[in-house]
Amino acid sequence: MALQTSPDQPAPVRVVSQAIGGWISRLGAIWVEGQVAQLTRRPNTQTAFLTLRDPAAEISLQVTVPRLVLDQVDPPLVEGARIVVHAKPSWYYTRGALSLAADEIRQVGLGELLARLERLRRLLAAEGLFGADRKRRLPFLPRVVGLICGRSSAAEHDVLENARRRWPAVEFRICEVAVQGPSAVTQVIEALRELDRAEDVDVIILARGGGSVEDLLPFSDEALVRAVAAATTPVVSAIGHESDTPLVDLVADVRASTPTDAAKQVVPDVAEELVGVTRARGRITAAIRYRLDREQSMLSSLRSRPVLADPANGLLARAEEVSALRDRARRHLRHSLDRAAVDIEHTRARVRALSPAATLERGYAVVQRADGAVVRRPSDVAAGDHVRLRLADGELGATIDE
Amino acid sequence: MANEQPTTGGGQPQLSYEQARDELVAIVNKLETGGTTLEESLALWERGEELARLCEQYLDNARARLDAAATNPTDD
Repeated sequence: MALQTSPDQPAPVRVVSQAIGGWISRLGAIWVEGQVAQLTRRPNTQTAFLTLRDPAAEISLQVTVPRLVLDQVDPPLVEGARIVVHAKPSWYYTRGALSLAADEIRQVGLGELLARLERLRRLLAAEGLFGADRKRRLPFLPRVVGLICGRSSAAEHDVLENARRRWPAVEFRICEVAVQGPSAVTQVIEALRELDRAEDVDVIILARGGGSVEDLLPFSDEALVRAVAAATTPVVSAIGHESDTPLVDLVADVRASTPTDAAKQVVPDVAEELVGVTRARGRITAAIRYRLDREQSMLSSLRSRPVLADPANGLLARAEEVSALRDRARRHLRHSLDRAAVDIEHTRARVRALSPAATLERGYAVVQRADGAVVRRPSDVAAGDHVRLRLADGELGATIDE
Repeated sequence: MANEQPTTGGGQPQLSYEQARDELVAIVNKLETGGTTLEESLALWERGEELARLCEQYLDNARARLDAAATNPTDD
């Protein structure tokens, strides 16, 4: 419906504006595909604004979208994302501005990319690149720590600061590279190869801060992931936030949740270790001293045993034994002598009893002939024979008268 | 315990601390049980003294090494 106007009958602005509005609203709701060139989202506002650009031409349109709808897009929308939008053309009377009022946004290219990533993940998993047996242990005290990160990034700062706090003398070799965009993959791979070749670099940290899925895409690139898998030096990946899972995380030897965490895993807390060493030393010394003391006291107790400490005692026992035996011998001898003496006494008494002395004492005399024979009857002698008279006390000689 | 070897008299192969101590224990047991001749017990006692001296030397050496390490800690 054309407006009838002429130089003499011009239409006022508001009428024109209204008319334009009417024509525009006839278009109705449509689906539009384009690339996000600019995204504005202010806090505490209900509406967000974005510029939808035709990737094939330098033509763009403004799009408004309710905050709620925008927030529902997953992964969150960023500049450069390709989207499909369901929108109604809108005419803003007061400013005379046209924009598309969107009520639904779908990501196109990204969905495809994510599906591609998933296929790649399955392929690499099937090859065994994510296997636990391929993970290398990190060195306890690396000679040099290799660090691949963005230029003057927070990630670089976090790693350096936390590592140096734990071990002030830690040595770094830093490769600052692009960590997003088209040149990121080549630069990271080159840095990785250089650090891996270096003989004194004992561990490599790959660090970058958080970002959109697109920003982190280089770290799911097949060439980069394979390069990390092929590295002989252990690699720690600290890419994005805790919830991000670029494929490099799966193939790295250790996955750190943040650059700070990477620093902690790669470098020991030297002060703590020293305390541990001192304590261990103390325990070793104490254990040895305890053993020595035990041996010493055992030795002392052995030495104080009588057989060693007082061997004279043993000799004393023997001496006493000898003495006792000698006494017994002597006693035996004495007894024998006493018995013999007693025997002799008895015998002597018997002899005495048998002897004629008692008879002689009574006054008898024993008469003996010259040949010693005892004279018992007169016929034993003749007159004139000499005889001896034994008296109790002495002898007499006599001659027989008749 | 066997860096500076304490010596027993005579050129026999050097006994370790444990060997000397075990032999000493055996000798004490034998003497205490008795039944040895005079000559044997004298010989045993002399050997025991010798072994005790050897053990003492080992322990003194070990102590000296510990004390030396304590006063001159090797710093790393």
